[in-house]
Amino acid sequence: MQRRRTLKPWLFGVIAGSLFVAVEALAGVYPPSAYGFCLTCHARDLAATVLNALFGTNLQTAVIARRMVMITSPAVLLGAWLAARRFGERRVLPSDRPLSYFVLGFAVMITGLVIFGCPTRIVLRAGYGEWYGLVALAGMGVGITAATLLVRWAGRAGIALPRLRVPRSASPGRLARSASALGSADRPGGTVPGRSGEEGS
Amino acid sequence: MTERILYTLLIGALGVTVGYLAQRSRMCFVAGLRDYILVRDRELLTGLFSFLLTVWVLTSVFYALDLLEQRMPEYGDVQVMTAVEERPAARAAARAAGPSGGPAGLLESLRGARLLQVPGGGGSLRGGGLRALLGRFFWVSVGGGALIGFLAVLAGGCVLRQHVLCAQGNRNALLFILGFYAAAVVFALVLFDRILWFYG
Repeated sequence: MQRRRTLKPWLFGVIAGSLFVAVEALAGVYPPSAYGFCLTCHARDLAATVLNALFGTNLQTAVIARRMVMITSPAVLLGAWLAARRFGERRVLPSDRPLSYFVLGFAVMITGLVIFGCPTRIVLRAGYGEWYGLVALAGMGVGITAATLLVRWAGRAGIALPRLRVPRSASPGRLARSASALGSADRPGGTVPGRSGEEGS
Repeated sequence: MTERILYTLLIGALGVTVGYLAQRSRMCFVAGLRDYILVRDRELLTGLFSFLLTVWVLTSVFYALDLLEQRMPEYGDVQVMTAVEERPAARAAARAAGPSGGPAGLLESLRGARLLQVPGGGGSLRGGGLRALLGRFFWVSVGGGALIGFLAVLAGGCVLRQHVLCAQGNRNALLFILGFYAAAVVFALVLFDRILWFYG
């Protein structure tokens, strides 16, 4: 059974945005800018810090990582684990495609590190008004659109791709509506409100 | 040492809070657009836009109050990724010299607030916009952004969402995170210096 979400996403956006900006402006997690939260960059800094401590190497980190240990990524795991435990949403789902998810994680990490940001930090940088962040956000929109259309097309054509999760988090009424919308989206000329502007299927 | 522990605890507390809230809200930064395209579900998209808007408003306010430095971007500017120093001092000096206290001073600094303008940086919208367009990092940003969006949709959620799913017991997400850390080690060992050289 799917529990209901107890926090609206827009509220998460407001809280998280305030925290990420405040942690730089008020607590001085700086430089580089817009570094209050980034899972890829912080994970890299954590890995480099640990390797440096263990083997005495001199791997590069961001500047701020010399003053602290970037434990953001394990901390997020811990926080999500606490929440899932408290609300009884922990449920082991065995892996169906271990290798492809490993490769996806690898590729996402490398890409994120090359452009200095996970999706969260790309949005954060865009919010800071940074040119490259805005550009990367635009690119991300294009990529998401392309992948979504590809997955939908592949689903219709019966080609196996990594499964796309239908929004499973919404409240029951909305979920039912989503499911019906998804069903009718598979039929040509399905009548979903607001779907008229889309390309004819 | 104490500072190090305090900062680490701070970032840890931030991470725990965000992870907790992300689990409660099922927030994902790529699923918003995906759901909108697929089923016209706007809920996660509102999360994305409220995040963007909050950051934009708050940074504008903090720029105006001189709590943040308008010094962006700093990638491809190898200096900032590697060099420390001079920053706290410069900031303190700027704060001392800047408009101080009182509603009049506040108003003055608010009037001077430039939302999207960044003095100095190679990629600011006004200052070096053209130069930014010609830079390598620009093209890498476009392509890399598209690629990360593409891959994240295939994986079923952005990096934050994968962390949350992993904590909920999804083994696919666990493998995603394992690949993620493997890549972090590889990048730190092999690629980082080359990337900085490439952008430099």
